[in-house]
Amino acid sequence: MLMPDPDQNVINRRDEICAELRKLVPAECVIDSKESMKAFDADGLSAYRQLPLAVVLPETVNQIAAVMKWCHQQGVKIVPRGAGTSLSGGALPLADAVLLGLGKFNRILEVDYDNRCVVAQPGVTNLAITHAVQADGFYYAPDPSSQIACSVGGNVAENSGGVHCLKYGLTTNNLLGIEIVTMEGEILRLGGKHLDAGDYDLLGIMTGSEGLLGVVSEVTLRILQKPATARALLVGFDDTGAAGRAVGDVIAAGIIPAGMEMMDGLAINAAEDFANAGYPREAAALLIIELDGPEVEVDALIDRVEAIVGKAGATSVRISQSEEERNLFWAGRKSAFPAVGRISPDYLCMDGTIPRRKLPDMMRRMASLSQQYGLRVANVFHAGDGNLHPLILFDANQPGELERAEEFGADILRSCVEMGGVLTGEHGVGVEKRDLMTIQFTEDDLKQQQRLKCAFDPGHLLNPGKVFPHLHRCAELGRLHVHKGKMPHPDLPRF
Amino acid sequence: MSDIKATDLRDVQDAIQAAVAAKTRLEVRASGTKRHLGVAAAYDHVLDVSAMSGIIDYQPEELVMTLRAGTPMDQVEKALADARQMLAFEPPSMTKILGEATAGVRGSIGGIIATNLSGPRRLTAGAARDFLLGFEAISGRGEQFKSGGKVMKNVTGYDLSKLMCGSYGTLAVMDEITLKTIPAPETSRSLLVGADSFSEAVKLIATIFATPHEPGSAAILPQPIAAGEQADTGNAFTIVIRLEGIEPSVNDRSQHLQSGFGGESLDDMASQALWLRIRDVQPLAERPQDIWKVSCAPSDAPRLIDSLDLRQEMRFFADWAGGLIWMSSAAPDLGAQLRSAVARLNSGFAMLVRDVGATKQKVAPLQPLTGGMFELHKRVKASFDPLGVLNYGRMHEGV
Ligand SMILES: Cc1cc2nc3c(=O)[nH]c(=O)nc-3n(C[C@H](O)[C@H](O)[C@H](O)COP(=O)(O)OP(=O)(O)OC[C@H]3O[C@@H](n4cnc5c(N)ncnc54)[C@H](O)[C@@H]3O)c2cc1C
Repeated sequence: MLMPDPDQNVINRRDEICAELRKLVPAECVIDSKESMKAFDADGLSAYRQLPLAVVLPETVNQIAAVMKWCHQQGVKIVPRGAGTSLSGGALPLADAVLLGLGKFNRILEVDYDNRCVVAQPGVTNLAITHAVQADGFYYAPDPSSQIACSVGGNVAENSGGVHCLKYGLTTNNLLGIEIVTMEGEILRLGGKHLDAGDYDLLGIMTGSEGLLGVVSEVTLRILQKPATARALLVGFDDTGAAGRAVGDVIAAGIIPAGMEMMDGLAINAAEDFANAGYPREAAALLIIELDGPEVEVDALIDRVEAIVGKAGATSVRISQSEEERNLFWAGRKSAFPAVGRISPDYLCMDGTIPRRKLPDMMRRMASLSQQYGLRVANVFHAGDGNLHPLILFDANQPGELERAEEFGADILRSCVEMGGVLTGEHGVGVEKRDLMTIQFTEDDLKQQQRLKCAFDPGHLLNPGKVFPHLHRCAELGRLHVHKGKMPHPDLPRF
Repeated sequence: MSDIKATDLRDVQDAIQAAVAAKTRLEVRASGTKRHLGVAAAYDHVLDVSAMSGIIDYQPEELVMTLRAGTPMDQVEKALADARQMLAFEPPSMTKILGEATAGVRGSIGGIIATNLSGPRRLTAGAARDFLLGFEAISGRGEQFKSGGKVMKNVTGYDLSKLMCGSYGTLAVMDEITLKTIPAPETSRSLLVGADSFSEAVKLIATIFATPHEPGSAAILPQPIAAGEQADTGNAFTIVIRLEGIEPSVNDRSQHLQSGFGGESLDDMASQALWLRIRDVQPLAERPQDIWKVSCAPSDAPRLIDSLDLRQEMRFFADWAGGLIWMSSAAPDLGAQLRSAVARLNSGFAMLVRDVGATKQKVAPLQPLTGGMFELHKRVKASFDPLGVLNYGRMHEGV
């Protein structure tokens, strides 16, 4: 992975920069020793490591603004970091950039039941939001598997999802407002406790912008009343195509389950070894379908779904009879990553989305790629919304295997785009998929996105080298090519 | 002023490139039902995109519909109804209060997206901006680009779809768009619960939303309006709570809520008819007066209403649990009063929707932007449309 050439002038000024930063934040909030910075040298994409120029952990919004303003004036780059669980390398440090950690922003500022929202600092963990309101029957719906660790600021930056986003949406659909600090050090409020406004949806643009447009310094999240009850079905199939069709049949019947997950044979067995959830080992595909809501509704829908999957050729159906059993059904799925970690020294977790009806084609393609590359692949899949998580098994100690696994992964993502899908459903582009962006987007598509980046950060100082394969200078991007010779409506009056 | 009629993106690109070369300003228009929303700015030509119409691909079991932006809403809703699906954000029809540009025309899907208009279900299901998955367009630079995709879950690159929603055609002209659809509820029912004051009504709704009975929409009608809508509880205010879903669920939830909060219930037909009128702001349509729309935190709504000197002379009702207030008044300074009332809140927004006189000449129809937000808006505009070729000034001066 090629990162932009570090600015040697900035690296040479390291001591001076750290000294200046210590004037802007309490001295202990600047970390510059190699040993202490090691804890920050990678995010969840741990194959890539880099020590930053320095780590700054501000404590107040004004400190964030002061640091950013100073860095802007001095031409020093900034990489924002939440909890560092990104799987795409979005928080990977740069040698010539200050790593701005939001770890000290760990307070919930307001729980507002009248308006059903929580105002929190960006470093609060996703699960802590639910913990703050669950005694009163509320919860925060987006639930990435990393929810005990990942920060809500990072969730905004990545527009994270979870197993329940089929029914309840991604972060972007559950976010009411944010405060941001721009690269120039200006503090702006986007959105709030009101629902609609008459300006550009900059809140929507910030969500999923991977730390390239501004630093999120506060979030206002929508909370929901917890559904009265939830039950799940565990459905086995001897053919992944049939399982895929069953998913479509459930939705075609007008049912949007709270979650609809699929696992393939390898994932089923790895998870069963790990969690003893009672999964049917002989099945080629397993669906977990969860229904939530009022008890009468859940009971009625369970019956309907049971009939639908039966017709679609299910080979086994179990219906959870208790909360305990429902949690057991999920235990296997939720431990799928560590479970696969036990059957292979290393794995790469991919994250593309396809139109759901292409699932059988995709499974066939993956099987043949698996043969071609000589590497195994286990599949867990947010089946309801077509989001694939193939886990490519490899051994980093075998020379060349990491590269082969990465090539295999790239081929899977290429196939996703070919089949009408996209490169990433929830993990983000970061550095991991940066160079694949040209598969999905034309040069003009990417240039328009970068022009928007220029509106926020004309100096390309905020998290550069992520998301976009080619960095263009803003002046160059802004140049307008006027098609002088071409006047398709020469009859029209002009001034 | 002459019209340019575009039939595809090629035509749009030609027209925009010509406008860029000649430095002319274009008004982008589909069916024109919402052209009175926003600032009445002057343009050199109309770029008519109404012919860019039709559903391209609709896969109900995939929950996605790809269509052209000029497609009339009637056609969209017919296709959805045939598959027993809907657009969850409940796009309103503005023709009742804005008048029809052409007889019988209800507006296009592109117009709904460009103004980010959503109906009563916005409270729990999300706005138009939550359902645009991707699009193809020509920017004000005259360049073709796309963003998003045709699948439900996608974080590849910036989410420009959000930016297109509510940008009033000031950034780019869209052709193909992809929307997320969802199954329509099998049935619905509404509960009418009385309250003695507006603030009591807002509080009661908050209590109802703290139960697990999944209310979907919540409006507040003052007695005269409730009476006109055959929804009068006899109290100063009537709360309307809508429940949607499968029959056993709707029955069960409405029984629970009725035993907790009392009130009468409206059956599916009556409920649908009432919510259609709320969606389209019909209770305020008949009087020839200005109509304003205010969006604020629900709990701020009573304070906002109380702070207006005009409350005697105006008619209003609220949706979105109190977070959306529609008001009409003959008093000329309602706008000025609203703007200063909203400014006293932590967050909120006031917009002039219907101007029967010349109010727009005195107050900006959209809440004016200031400081860094204004600067950022101008920079975002320039990143798509540096010369101000598209609907220039339609939202804000310089944007
Ligand atoms: C085991 C595991 C399971 C996971 N499961 C899921 C899942 O189910 N669904 C899912 O969507 N993701 C999942 N993830 C990915 C990851 O947890 C999410 O992307 C998460 O939102 C990242 O949050 P973070 O605080 O760790 O951010 P970081 O990793 O620190 O940063 C991520 C990106 O956000 C930027 N950023 C962070 N904070 C801010 C801020 N305050 N302002 C501006 N930019 C900021 C960074 O620059 C970086 O680009 C998983 C990860 C792991 C390790």
